[in-house]
Amino acid sequence: MSTYIKTQQQLAEEHLLEAAKEFEKCMKCGKCRSVCPVFKEFGNELYVARGKNKLAEKIVSGDLQITDKLEQAINECLNCKTCSANCPAGVSPEHVVLRLRWYITTQKGLHYFKALIFRQLLWRKWPITIGCAVVALAQRLLFGIGPKNPVRHLFPLFGFAKRRNFPQLALRSAQSMYPEVNRSKTGETKMRIGYFTGCAGNLIYTNVAKSVVDILTGYGYEVVIPKKQKCNGTPVMANGDYEGARRLMQHNFDLFRKYDLDAIVVACSSCGMSLKKEIKVFVEDSPELQEFTGKVWDINEFIDKNIEIKPEDLGPLPYKVTYHDPCHMVRGQGIKEQPRNILKQIPGVEFKEMKNADTCCGSAGSYCITHYETSIKINDHKIKDIQDAGVDIVATGCPTCVMHIDDNLAQHHSNEKAKFVIELLADSLRAKGTVIR
Amino acid sequence: MEKAVIDELVTIFGQSNVLTDREDMIAYSYDAAPVEVEPEAVVFPTTTEQVSRLMKLAYRVEVPVTPRGQGSGLSGGSIPLKKGIVLCMDRMTKVIEFDPANRLISVEAGLTTSDIDPIAAEAGLFYPPDPGSVAFSTIGGNVAENAGGLRGLKYGVTKDYVKMLTVVLPQGDIVKLGSKCVKHVAGFNTELMFVGSEGLLGIITEVTLALLPIPKHRESALAIFNTLDDAAQTVSDIIAAGVTPSTMEFMDNATLNAIQNFKDCGLPRDAEAVLLIETDGEEHSAKAEMVIVQSQVEKNNSRDFKIAQSTEERDKLFAGRRVALNALASVRPNLILEDATVKRSVLPEMVRGIIAIAQKYNIQVGIFGHAGDGNLHPTFLIDQKDKEEMARCHKAVDELFQLAIDLDGTISGEHGIGLEKKPYLENQIGAAGIKILQDFKRMFDPKNLLNPGKMFDMPGESA
Ligand SMILES: Cc1cc2nc3c(=O)[nH]c(=O)nc-3n(C[C@H](O)[C@H](O)[C@H](O)COP(=O)(O)OP(=O)(O)OC[C@H]3O[C@@H](n4cnc5c(N)ncnc54)[C@H](O)[C@@H]3O)c2cc1C
Ligand code: SF4
Ligand code: SF4
Repeated sequence: MSTYIKTQQQLAEEHLLEAAKEFEKCMKCGKCRSVCPVFKEFGNELYVARGKNKLAEKIVSGDLQITDKLEQAINECLNCKTCSANCPAGVSPEHVVLRLRWYITTQKGLHYFKALIFRQLLWRKWPITIGCAVVALAQRLLFGIGPKNPVRHLFPLFGFAKRRNFPQLALRSAQSMYPEVNRSKTGETKMRIGYFTGCAGNLIYTNVAKSVVDILTGYGYEVVIPKKQKCNGTPVMANGDYEGARRLMQHNFDLFRKYDLDAIVVACSSCGMSLKKEIKVFVEDSPELQEFTGKVWDINEFIDKNIEIKPEDLGPLPYKVTYHDPCHMVRGQGIKEQPRNILKQIPGVEFKEMKNADTCCGSAGSYCITHYETSIKINDHKIKDIQDAGVDIVATGCPTCVMHIDDNLAQHHSNEKAKFVIELLADSLRAKGTVIR
Repeated sequence: MEKAVIDELVTIFGQSNVLTDREDMIAYSYDAAPVEVEPEAVVFPTTTEQVSRLMKLAYRVEVPVTPRGQGSGLSGGSIPLKKGIVLCMDRMTKVIEFDPANRLISVEAGLTTSDIDPIAAEAGLFYPPDPGSVAFSTIGGNVAENAGGLRGLKYGVTKDYVKMLTVVLPQGDIVKLGSKCVKHVAGFNTELMFVGSEGLLGIITEVTLALLPIPKHRESALAIFNTLDDAAQTVSDIIAAGVTPSTMEFMDNATLNAIQNFKDCGLPRDAEAVLLIETDGEEHSAKAEMVIVQSQVEKNNSRDFKIAQSTEERDKLFAGRRVALNALASVRPNLILEDATVKRSVLPEMVRGIIAIAQKYNIQVGIFGHAGDGNLHPTFLIDQKDKEEMARCHKAVDELFQLAIDLDGTISGEHGIGLEKKPYLENQIGAAGIKILQDFKRMFDPKNLLNPGKMFDMPGESA
C-alpha cells in the first residue's frame, strides 16, 4: 500500500500523462458543443469539452502556464459526462478536467480552507456530524428553513447564495440511529449487505437510510452499517484534492472488506459511481479491489435485480410521478430502467416520462455551492421540463439532485416535490403494512 | 493588436462580446481540421449592422477577419491563418420569419442547423440537407461550405435550398441577394456566389431557406454483397430503373469489421460491401420503389436483403452506420476523414483505387459514404505522433486526390478546400480556374482581409 503513495512530482507527471491519454483522442469535431450544459450557458468555446481538451494540451506541452482564467475554465465542469457519453472518439473530457485540477494542486498546493474541510473535518468526521446536529437544532428551534429564515442574510459569509433554500438537516445521524448490524426481519438471511450511507443519507436525508434498512431487512437481508465509514471522496476529488480523496477511498475499501459482505449497497448516485469505478483511479488494482467494486450496487439496481416485490406487498400512492436521471447513475453507472421499473410497480402512481430526463440538473455536488448562479440557470431548464410533465413528484436517486431541484422549485413557487425512488417504494410498502410495518 | 482597435471593438460589440485573453484565443485557434493559429481577438456580433461596422474598421486599420460558425469545419476554413479577428457568428441565432404558406424560413446565420426542423415540423415541413454535423454546425457555415448530407442524391445539397441571403461585403456594405419567389431572373444569381465561398467573399448574416413537406412514409433496407462490383452495379441499376432513393449509404469490409469490433450490430465480417437504402414519399410509392430496389439488388447477386418492418428494425439496420465513424476512430489514435467524390458509375474503381493506395503506403483505411452521389469518406486510421506514418499518410492522401481527379471527380464533395486541400485545388481546376477565383476575390476584397490565405493564394503570396 505504501508504494501507492507517490511524491508530488510523480503525481504531477501522472496526472498530465493520464490527461494526455484522453485529449489525444479528441478529433476536435465539436459535437460536445451540442450537449455540454455549461457551454450552453456560457456560449464560449473555452468552456466546452473540446476547449478544455485544448487547454490541457497546452499545459502539457508547456505552451500555457497555470493562470487564474485557466483554473476558472476547468472549474466550470459538472462532471456530468454528457460529453463523453456522446463523443464519437471515446474521449472522457471530464477526466481531463479532473486530472488538470489535481495537477494544479500538485503545483500550487491545496487552498487552506479546502485542506481544512477535506483533510481534517471530513477525515475526522465527528466535527461534521456534530456541526450538522447543531445546525439541525438551530433550524428547528431558532430560524426554520423557509423563505423568511433570517439566517439567510448570513449565507454569503459562508459562500452560499442568499436566496438559496437548504434542506432540513437531521437531528440524529442515520449511523447513530441504527446499530451496526440490522438483522433480517423474515427469519431467513438471504445475504449480508453492507450499506454505504453517504454523507447526505447519514446527515440530511435520513428517511432514505430508513427506507433502505426497512426494505432490505423486510425482504430477508441483513444490513450492516459500518460505523467508521467516511465520505466516499467525490467532493474531495472534484475540488482538486487527489491525495485527500485517495485516503478516504482507501479507508472505505479497507473498512468494508473487514465485514465479510455479500454485497454493498448505496442510495446515492455519486457514491455508487465512486465505489464502483472512480476508486480504481485511486486504489491500487488487485483481485481484492475487483471483488470489492464488483459487489457494489445502487439500491434501485439491487432491488430491481434481486427482490421480487409482489403486487400484494404494495399499498397505493396517489401521485403523478416523473423521474430525473442523475448523471452519475445514467451515464456513470448505466442505470436507467431500474428506478423507472420500481416506480411503475407502485399502485396508484401514474408515471409520466418528462422531456430531457437525463440532462444534468446543474447541481453537480459542490458545483452548486461554488457556482450557484450558473447551476441555477442550468436547473431552470429542468424545472421547465418538470412543470411541463404535469406531475406531483419528481423522483430521482441522488441527494444533490434532490436538494438542488427542491431549492429551485421553491424559488419558482412550484408545487412539485423532489423525492427518492426508494422513499416512494418504502411509503408504498408501509401503506400496505405487510413487509414494512 | 493595438489597444485602440480593441477599444473600438468593445464600442461596437460590447465588453461581453469581445475576447482577447490568451486562454480564449487558444479556444478559437482550431476547428475540426488538424491546424491551429491563435487570433488576436474574437468578437460575437448579434446584428448585421455590427458586422458591417467591424468590416469598415478592419478595412480602415487593415486587420484580417476570419468568419466562424461552430468550428466543425473539416478543411480549416475558420482558422485565423493571418491572425487578426475571429468573427464568431454563433450568437446570431434568431428565427426571423417562418412562412409555411410559401414553405420558407428566414433565420440568422448563427442558428444551429438542427434547430430548424422542430419549427418546420409544426407545419409538416423539413429542411432536407442533413450533414453529419447538423447539431453542431451553423446554417451560415453550411451555406459557406455548401454542406451536403445523407440525403443528397434525392434532395440535393445546401445550395438547392438557399433562396435569399443578407451579406456584409468585405468593405462593410450590406446587401440582400436573391428572392423569395420560386422563379426570379432579376439580375445574376448572386446569392449562389456566396454558397460555398468559405467566408472569402462576404459574411452571411441572414439566410432564407426553402423547406419541403415531410415525406409521409419511409422504407428502409440493408443489402449485403460479396463483391464491390456487385454493390456498385446495384447502385447504378437502381437509378437506371427510375428510382431515386433518399439514402444510399455504402460501407466497405474494413468499416464493417471496425463496427463489429466496436459494437455488435449484426453485420457480416466477410462481406465486401453493404448498402443501406431508403425510399420515401407516399406509402404506396415508397413501397413500390423498394420493390424495384429489391429486384435490382437480387439481380446483382446480393447475399442478403432485409427490409425493416418497424421503426425498431429500421434503427437496428442503421445502428452500424450510425457508429461507423466512432468505430473507425477507436481503431487507431487518430483519423483523417476525406470526402473525394466521383460519379457513381466509377465507384468500384474509386474504392479499389483507394484500397490499393492504402496498401502501397501501408496505412489502414475504412471507406464509407454516400454511394448514390459518389461522395465517399475514405478514412485513414493513423497515429499522429508517428511522424513516419504521417508522412506515408500524406503521400496516400496526395494520390487519393489525384485518383479522384483522374476519374473525372472532385477532391472535395462537401468539406471544402480551406487550408487542407488548398495545395491540390490547382490540379483539379487548373491555372485558369485559380485565376478566376483570384479575380473574384480581388473584386470583393481588394485588400485581401477577409479570411485571407484560404482555398488559394493571391498572386505574389504563398502559404
Ligand atoms: C463529425 C462531422 C461530420 C460532418 N459531416 C458533414 C457532412 O455530412 N456534410 C458536410 O457537408 N459537412 C460535414 N462536416 C463538415 C462541417 O460540419 C460543415 O462544413 C459545416 O457546414 C461547418 O459549419 P460551421 O458552422 O461549423 O462552420 P465553421 O467550421 O466555423 O466554418 C466553416 C467555413 O465557413 C465560413 N463561415 C462560417 N460562418 C460563416 C458566415 N456566417 N458567413 C461567411 N462565412 C462563414 C468560415 O470562415 C469557414 O471558412 C462534418 C464535420 C464533422 C466534424
Ligand atoms: S465530441 Fe469528443 S472528439 Fe468531438 S470535440 Fe468533443 S471531446 Fe473532442
Ligand atoms: S462533463 Fe459535462 S460539464 Fe463537463 S465538459 Fe463534459 S458535458 Fe461539459
